[in-house]
Amino acid sequence: MSGMAGIGPAVAMPAGATEAPKPPRLNAEQASFAYAATDKSAPKFALSSTTFTADQREIVAILGPNASGKSTLMKLLAGLIKPLSGRIEVDGTEVSEMDLKMRAQRIALVQQESELLFPLRVWEYVLQGRYPHGRSLRFESEEDCLLAGNALAQVGAHALRDRWMEQLSGGEKQRVILARALAQQPSLLLLDEPTQHLDIGGKVELLRRLRKLADENRYTVVVVTHELNLAAEFSDRIVLLHNGKCLRVGTAAEVYQRELLEEVFQAPLDVEIRRNGRPRVLLRGVE
Amino acid sequence: MRGDKKFRRIEEWVATASAIVLVVCFIATSAHAAPQNTARTNAAEAKSSAMRTVVDDNDRKVTVPMEVRRVVSLAPNLTEAIYALGLEDKLVGDTDVCDTPPAAKLKPHVGGTMNPNLEAIVALHPDLVVAGAINQWDIERALEHLGIPVYGTDPQTVEGMLASTRKVANILGADAKGAEVVGQLQTRLDVLKAKLADRPLAHVLFVVWMDPLITTGQDTFIADALKWAGAESVVMSSQKWPHLSFEEVVRVQPEYIVLTPDHQESNAAGLADLRSRNGWKDLQAVEEGHVVVISAAINRPSPGMIDAIEQAAHAFHPEAFGSDSTQSEAHAEPQLESTVQLNVNSECAACVH
Amino acid sequence: MRPLTPKRILWTCGWLTALLFVAMVVALRMGAYPISVPDIVKALFNGAIGHWQEIPSEHQMVVFGLRLPRIALEILVGASLSVAGVGFQALLRNPLADPYVLGVSSGAALGAIVSLIAVPHTPGAIQVAAFLGAAVTIAAVYFLGRRGGQLDSATLLLAGIAATLFLSAAIICLMTTLTGRDLRGMAFWLMGDLSSPPPVTNVVGWLGFLFTVFLIASGAIYTTSSDLNLILTGEEEARHLGVNVRRVKLVVYVSASILTGLAVSVSGAVGFVGLLVPHLMRMLFGTDHRILIPASVIGGAIAIVIADTLARTVVAPTEVPVGAMTALAGAPVFIYLMRRRVR
Repeated sequence: MSGMAGIGPAVAMPAGATEAPKPPRLNAEQASFAYAATDKSAPKFALSSTTFTADQREIVAILGPNASGKSTLMKLLAGLIKPLSGRIEVDGTEVSEMDLKMRAQRIALVQQESELLFPLRVWEYVLQGRYPHGRSLRFESEEDCLLAGNALAQVGAHALRDRWMEQLSGGEKQRVILARALAQQPSLLLLDEPTQHLDIGGKVELLRRLRKLADENRYTVVVVTHELNLAAEFSDRIVLLHNGKCLRVGTAAEVYQRELLEEVFQAPLDVEIRRNGRPRVLLRGVE
Repeated sequence: MRGDKKFRRIEEWVATASAIVLVVCFIATSAHAAPQNTARTNAAEAKSSAMRTVVDDNDRKVTVPMEVRRVVSLAPNLTEAIYALGLEDKLVGDTDVCDTPPAAKLKPHVGGTMNPNLEAIVALHPDLVVAGAINQWDIERALEHLGIPVYGTDPQTVEGMLASTRKVANILGADAKGAEVVGQLQTRLDVLKAKLADRPLAHVLFVVWMDPLITTGQDTFIADALKWAGAESVVMSSQKWPHLSFEEVVRVQPEYIVLTPDHQESNAAGLADLRSRNGWKDLQAVEEGHVVVISAAINRPSPGMIDAIEQAAHAFHPEAFGSDSTQSEAHAEPQLESTVQLNVNSECAACVH
Repeated sequence: MRPLTPKRILWTCGWLTALLFVAMVVALRMGAYPISVPDIVKALFNGAIGHWQEIPSEHQMVVFGLRLPRIALEILVGASLSVAGVGFQALLRNPLADPYVLGVSSGAALGAIVSLIAVPHTPGAIQVAAFLGAAVTIAAVYFLGRRGGQLDSATLLLAGIAATLFLSAAIICLMTTLTGRDLRGMAFWLMGDLSSPPPVTNVVGWLGFLFTVFLIASGAIYTTSSDLNLILTGEEEARHLGVNVRRVKLVVYVSASILTGLAVSVSGAVGFVGLLVPHLMRMLFGTDHRILIPASVIGGAIAIVIADTLARTVVAPTEVPVGAMTALAGAPVFIYLMRRRVR
């Protein structure tokens, strides 16, 4: 890893593997999950047999109505739960086999922030993202500070670094949370409905930033979202879920078929293809 | 996640094991009684030549000087005894609550009976410290650890108190005076015994505390004192200080009610107080005016309690004492100032009404 | 952007220790026995080089037999309670939590009462029984306070409250069987009192044991400092950053409880220290546990040395229990802090 301005994944690909087929960055292979499977009753699958892959520099959007299994899939990708059958692999290693530190070095999860108990400065918060890279009780090194600073710069929040977390606005806070995730130097970046509390400008800005980060730092980004159009505009692959089943995986143009979307979302929808080849979903007039 | 499972078992074993190890170490070290710094010699011991070993009331061997010049008293009853024996010049310090006789209040204080200040005691350079039943036993141990001999008293009966006083007198070098004082007290007790010989014991309710109602059982010092006064507690329990429900009091209907208030009160005042309380006023003893106020000295194992016993005896059995219906001034014990009250005349119940 | 460095921690601890030293010197000087500072210094010096014969026996008695052990205990109790306070505040996610809220002190008190009834007049029995009572309570509350296999702050708090209520009721019931003087001794102990003389003859060994336990337990908590920093920004987030939250909570719970049990078995339940010292140290040095914990150790020691010295001397020769002093000083400070938070 050269001394580059951005921060890419900390875990390098094995050297000399250029000739052999590289495993995809993210590989979900018939992953399924069910809660409370007992012998007597058949398990109720929150998610059944989902398969997709993603490589570096790709953004995957996971779409679906409520209770379609999106959060289950997210938890599987983050390694919080173990798949009942099938595998989830990152860089060739199964996620559920990783120990906590290793997982944190490769996968960063961006969530809504919980209530902070004590006042904390922004740079302190972002510096915490360096935790997976080192011993438990440690003092941050120069390199850690540098990387944290870079992470803040990448989200455009460098000016905020000395502010108190509780003084930030919603959008600013989200950028800082993203910066902390970036400080982890992950291979895989997971975002769970990151556009929820943002206005339309904020949503676009976030996705543009994610696109840039994925391109520059070679991340793989997986976003769970409700935003059909933004997903179509910015993602390379769409995973459409419905009632725990993975209905379709593919590019936006492949997945956004009118009848399919209408059935999944139970709403009158129209799909039109724009000039750049990406589809746009419109609400047909309410009668 | 596999890592978590690994941790789970290991950490629980480690936690349990270390807890056990810690507790064992703690117990072992606490019980360890290695001799402390042997270089710690008491300068006083080195100076005075003669020591002797005596056994105190708690069956502990104590090494005291043959000649005790400076003594600190940690219990009010012992302070009183020291004054009764005429040894107040040797008393260099007592507690905040040593108030009998009043002169004792002027002596240097070392704190309370529960937690006397060890440094204050050391500052008085005593040869001996005398302690009573109300002192914490670990104070005695601490003083010995510092090299100051402690003689503990713990009389269980009135006559035991007399014997204990004699021994203290002996240790303090006032053997003859001790014999004299104790002898006089014993005589008074014998006279009392004779007078009450063929009278049945009066059943009394001795009120230690009003609310909650606490009285005495049969195994206390008070119970013994009451016996000498020709009475016994209505509570036939071996528990020392039973909490009584008022129903029980109504059931047994004591002949007399004995109060021991902090401040001085006449019998009439005590009677009036009970007459104003619900429930109490309907008791037979209260209706008949059989309420006796006795000084708290009756619970203090000191020479002054003999006065209190006599008062009580006069109250419970007035007819045994002929025409003496008031306190006899013939008791010439000049060192003692009694704080005891007039006794009640049962015929006067009608006038108090 | 100035991250915390070991140098800054040592520097802070350095001048806090200097403050502690001053407090110790003052504490050595104060007491009912009149002894001048030169005499104290002479005694300490001779003691340090082993010339015990040169020290007048009464001076030796007072300085080494009475004041020094007491100061050592003051430091121990103050440090233990403060670190335990930091631990519990992190565990329960509440900056105004107190080491006694999980019932440890009630368990210790119950143990003490039981020993007073069962084996009165046995040296050291109260301390051992108190520690055992604390240990049993720790275990019971732990098992009650779990949810989904690991400690959950809300459940833990409820379990602690339930335990405290139950144990307090048991204590009251038993207290009616104690006679007068045992009862008053117990009342002192419940308040927090360091005036009792050491329960063992080998004072140095006993102190050494206590300090060893203290070092092990507080060391264990210190190793989780970085983890605690993360956990306080959110448990889920901490887990995603690689913190073994379950293990950290267990370590903190056990260590903080052991520290509380240690302090309580030595001195009874001294209040407000475990609550306020961490808070004050946070206000002075920030919330990073890597500096908060050492600062609380020394800060707590200073607090109790001062409080107990006042307790010993303010109405000499009578001794006020040290817990009364901390409550008198602590309650107004606590109220002030509470109101600041609300604003």
